[in-house]
Parts: sequence; C-alpha cells; structure tokens
Amino acid sequence: MNVHLSKICYYNINMFLTKEQDTSIHQKVINFLKALAHPRDFLRVLGRNRYRSLKIKIIFLDAILSLVPLFIVVTVSYFWFQQILKDDFRNQLTWEIENTKQSIDFFIEERLSALRFITSAYTYEQLSDQKVLTDIFTKFKREFAGLVDFGVINSSGIQQSYAGPYRLKGVDYSNQSWFNEIIIRSSYVSDVFMGYRKIPHFAIAVKKELPEKGTFLILRATIDMETLKKYTSTINLRENDDAFIINQEGILQTPSRFYGNELEKFRDPFFLPYRDVSVQEIKQTNNTYIIYGHAYIKNSPWILITIIKSTPYAKIPNIFRNELLIISMISIVIGIAVSIVMTQTLVNRIKKADQEREDAIAKTEHASKLASIGRLATGVAHEINNPLAIINEKAGLMKDIIEISGDLQQNKEKFLGLIDRIFDSVNRCRMVTHRLLGFARRMEVAIAVIDLNDTIKEVMEFFEKEILYRNIRLELNLRKDLPKIESDKGQLQQIFLNIINNAIDAVEEGGLIEVSTNVKDANNVQVSIRDTGHGIPKDKIKHIFEPFYTTKEKGKGTGLGLSISYGIMQRLGGTISVESEVDKGTIFTVEMPIRFETG
Amino acid sequence: MTDIKVLLVDDEVEFASALSERLRLRSYEAKAIYRAEDAIPFVKSDKPDVVLLDLKMPGMDGIEILEAIKQFDPTIEVIILTGHGDTESADKGIKTGAFDYIMKPVDIGELITKIEQAKKKKNSR
Repeated sequence: MNVHLSKICYYNINMFLTKEQDTSIHQKVINFLKALAHPRDFLRVLGRNRYRSLKIKIIFLDAILSLVPLFIVVTVSYFWFQQILKDDFRNQLTWEIENTKQSIDFFIEERLSALRFITSAYTYEQLSDQKVLTDIFTKFKREFAGLVDFGVINSSGIQQSYAGPYRLKGVDYSNQSWFNEIIIRSSYVSDVFMGYRKIPHFAIAVKKELPEKGTFLILRATIDMETLKKYTSTINLRENDDAFIINQEGILQTPSRFYGNELEKFRDPFFLPYRDVSVQEIKQTNNTYIIYGHAYIKNSPWILITIIKSTPYAKIPNIFRNELLIISMISIVIGIAVSIVMTQTLVNRIKKADQEREDAIAKTEHASKLASIGRLATGVAHEINNPLAIINEKAGLMKDIIEISGDLQQNKEKFLGLIDRIFDSVNRCRMVTHRLLGFARRMEVAIAVIDLNDTIKEVMEFFEKEILYRNIRLELNLRKDLPKIESDKGQLQQIFLNIINNAIDAVEEGGLIEVSTNVKDANNVQVSIRDTGHGIPKDKIKHIFEPFYTTKEKGKGTGLGLSISYGIMQRLGGTISVESEVDKGTIFTVEMPIRFETG
Repeated sequence: MTDIKVLLVDDEVEFASALSERLRLRSYEAKAIYRAEDAIPFVKSDKPDVVLLDLKMPGMDGIEILEAIKQFDPTIEVIILTGHGDTESADKGIKTGAFDYIMKPVDIGELITKIEQAKKKKNSR
C-alpha cells in the first residue's frame, strides 16, 4: 500500500537529511510525501501546478494537432507548386525548341523547293547559260534573304555556270564528298563551312535527272550562316542560357555564348538518345541542374542544342514562399491564440468542477459527522430509556403500594430496596451522559497521554447492545503492558467506531470480532481489528479508503467513514492498512506512534 | 378481581419484576420471565391471555418468539414493549400479528387499557 511507501520514503529522507539542514525544508518534504499517500490530499497539494501542466499539455497537443497538418500542407504545396512551375517551364522550352526546329525545317524545305522549282522550270541549257542564271539569282536574292550565290554543276562535277559575288565558274567539285552524296540522295544540305569565301555559310543543292541525255545537273546555292543563326535567337534565352546548332560531328554551326564560335568543336557533348525533340534535366558535378534540349533538323546534318542553366522557375516560388510563410504564420498565431483561449476556458471549467467537488466532499464530510453524532444520540437515548423505564416502574410500584395498602411502615424494607434500584438506574443514566459528554468534548483536536486499551474499551461500550443482540463473539486481547501514547482520544475513538461498525456490519450472527493491541517497535503501537465477516474482494480493497466508496446498501453508508479515518490517522502520524480474504474475514491494522510529532 | 393471565418477557430484570408486581397489585395474574429462550416453553405450559414482549433481547429475536406464540395459539394476544423511537420494529411486530405496541417507559393506565382491549379481543373470538 501507498501508506507503507510514504513511510519508507519518510525514513529514507530522515537518513539523508542531516540536522544542520533547514528543518522547514525537511518538514515540507515530509508533508509533501505524506500528502502523496492519499489521492485527495495529492490533488490539494498539486492543485495549482496540476492545472498549469494540464493547460500546457492541452495547448501543446492542440498546437501539434493543428500545426502538423498545416506544416504538411504547406510543405507539400510548396514542392508541388515548384514542380508545376518546373514542368511548365520545361513544357514551354520544349514548345519553343519544337517551334524553332520547325522553322528551320521549313526554311530548308522552302529553299530546297525553290531550287527544285528552278530546275524544273528551266532547261539544262538555260541554266548552263550564265546570263539566265544571273537573272534568276538576282530575282531570287530579292525574295530569299542570305542567298550568297547560285551554281549549276554538271554530272562530271564541273561548275557549268555561276551567279554570285565570286568567280567560281569551272570549279571542279567532283572529288568533294557532298558531290558523291548528292548523286545518291538527289538533295543535299551541307555543314557550315568557310570555303573559298572565308565567311561562314552553308550550301544546299538539288539534283535534276536529265533522262533524255542520260545525265543530270546539280543546282547549288550557298546561304549565309547569319540566316540560320537568327533562328536560334527565337528561343527565349536568359543570362546563362545558350542555343546553337551543331552538326553530327559536334562542330558548332552557329556561334554560341559559352561553347565557342562557329566551326569550333562543341566541347560539352551530351548523350543524344532520340532522333526527335527531347528535353532532359541533367545533374552536373557541382550539384546544379541544367535543362538540355536537342532537336534534329529534318533534311540536314544539324542538331539544334539548347542549354538552360538559369532557373526562372525557382524565383517564382520565392514570392509564393513568402505568401505561404505569411499565411502560415497568421494561421499559427490564430491557432495558438484560439487554442490558448479554448484551453483557458476548459481548464477553468475543470478547475471549477474540481472545486465544486471538493466543496461537496467537505459538505458531506460535515454531514457525515453530524450523522455520526445523530447515531450516537440515538444510541444514547436508547441506553437512557431502559433505566428510565425501570425508574418509572419502581416509582410506580411504590405509588401503587401506598395507594393500595396505605401502610408505609410495613413496606419500609421493600421501599428502601425499590429506592436503591432507582438510584442504580439513575447511576446508569449518569454513566451514559458522562460518556456522551466525554465524547462530545473529544470532538475537538487535543493531544494527551492516553491509555489505548481504555480508549478501545470505551468504544466497545457503544456496541455492547448490538453485539449482544446479534450474538457476535467479541474477543478483546489487550496487552496489559501497552505503553501509554500521545494522541487524540476522541479522534482515535472515531476511527475505531468506524472500523468496528464496519466489522459488525460484515459479520453474520455468531461471527467473531477480535480487537487486540500490541507493541510494534520502540516507537509504535498497533491495534488490530479482525472480523470473520464476508471479506473484501481484491478489486474493491484498493478503493476502500477513497471518499464516497461504499459497498454497503444504498442509504446504509456514506462511503466516508474509512476515508475520514484515513485522514485523521494521517494527521495523527499513523497509518491504517487492511488485509482481507473473501468469506474468511478482514483485518484492519492501525499503527500509531507512541510520541506525537507535530506536523 | 380479573382473571387475565399476563406474561411479561423482558431481559431487563428490574423493569420486568416491578411491572409484573404492579400488574399483580391490580389483580392481574402476571408473571415475568427474563430469558428469551424461556418464553416459548412457558407460554406452552402456562397459556397466558396476553404476552407483553420486548423485541430486543439477547439470544433470540423477539419477532421469532412472537411468531412461535402465534403459531402455538393464535388467540394469545401479544403487546410489544419497545424503546422510545423504535417504531420500526414495533411496526414489524404488528405486521407479524402483535395486537399493539407500547413505548417504554410505560404509562400503567395506558398499559391496562391495552391489556383489557387485548383480552376483550381474545374473548370475542
């Protein structure tokens, strides 16, 4: 039981605290530990702190409950939003790359179509005519920006005619690779090259079969690289971004910002897995990401490369993040404020309810005290009533004798006997009233040196009649050499009244109640009250010292007797413990110090 | 002179002896016994008209004695003697078949009236 625990703690603390230490601290600790022994006092001692810690706990829990989902939502939406922006940016980039690729595709297709048109609209002879070709060139130059020159090459690779700024008629192309290629493919777009002209340009050529002659001609046009370059600038580029065209061998076809000028080798070749448009994110060694896009240009050896190092999508979440932060902060502040107000209200309600409950306990304790006085009064009235009845009969008999026989002298002896009986009865009444007065006096707390055996005997007098009527066997094993103790007789009697009252209620007719006193050790004595009643089940025994706990029928017990006894024993520096076995009986052991220590 | 046989059963010797003497002075054939367990054999042998019975006695429940008397002879009327305020057991006695009850200390006039009424009831049967 917790009682023993507090006792053990008490001794341990006595061991650790030396005499030099502040005795008030000593006392406080002991009082605190003693208070822990009873749940009701425990509530009183920890009362204020308990509400505080309850308040903190509720606020903390409430905050976690509301802030954790908020935090999750905010975090998820932040990353979600960032991902959306990133995806969006990629999509837009893909779209731009695709657009640019198509523009270049179209540009090349258009040029090739134009050349095919010329080869079909004019005969071999016309095209071989320098004058006619120059005429066509002049007209076309107006329509097609960047056109540098035209050349017609026969099947032997000799330039038959030429229109343009240079003198290239008669140049032999037969051993150049593109010439061999066009024989097979009928149209051709070259890499960018410097050639004779020392400006970067590229050539496109179409082959026209001349079946009637069993031969073919090639119409070749060179176009300024600048024309191509302007297409790469349609992609929306930021400070660290780059867009350019390379050929299959990785030679830059247009100048780049960071990867060298045209005709230089692109030093940062990435793996190009697809033949179409692809945009992929590539992690770099310094843990930054670049978005790398590439697109193959149709009918050409070119690849459009886009390298995006800037991260515009990361900047937008900054604004979003700030808004998110502000909203989160407002939510947290409102959440905590609401939580505090709610908790305040809740804890105040609990506090009020607890106070009301405590008040109710106090009131009931008082009522119980009054009830026990009432019970006492009833018992006393009964005990006085019997001698009164005797007095009534003796006096009545005397009156009868006088009225009927009239002879006083003859009945003198009998009268004296009757008068003695009357005195006896009056003495009986006096004893009862004295006992009552003594008990009433002892309701106030007063420590005195008392004989515990006498105290118990006096208590038993209250139960004499009941024990007699119910055929209960009472055994008093009071130790004769029991030392006198310093305690409060009235309070002790109240405790024994409560315990013995319970014992009487518990036993059947013919049952046994044994009250014994003993010396426990040099400092303590003990009183055991054993009954052979129905006993207390294990699940109930732990509650029996709690206020309002009763196993008696409704209206028979207040459930306060043992609770009050427990409280009194605490104040007197002793303990009450209980052992019980169902259908065998119960032993209450009250231990109290021989010397009363204040506090 | 009356011929009413009254039996007084009460463990309080001084009370019962004095009251029975007073009844005898009033010409009743009154006897007192002080032990509950003696009550039934005495009733069986003596066959009183009226029994004055204290319900609270050591050794035997007064109600049991009342039941035994009524079982033995329902015409025997029982008047219950009870302490002041203990009407609960008196009521129980009435329900079990007692004629009436009277509070201690007893007013002799009232007791006589009740004994006479009880006897009258017995005779009318």
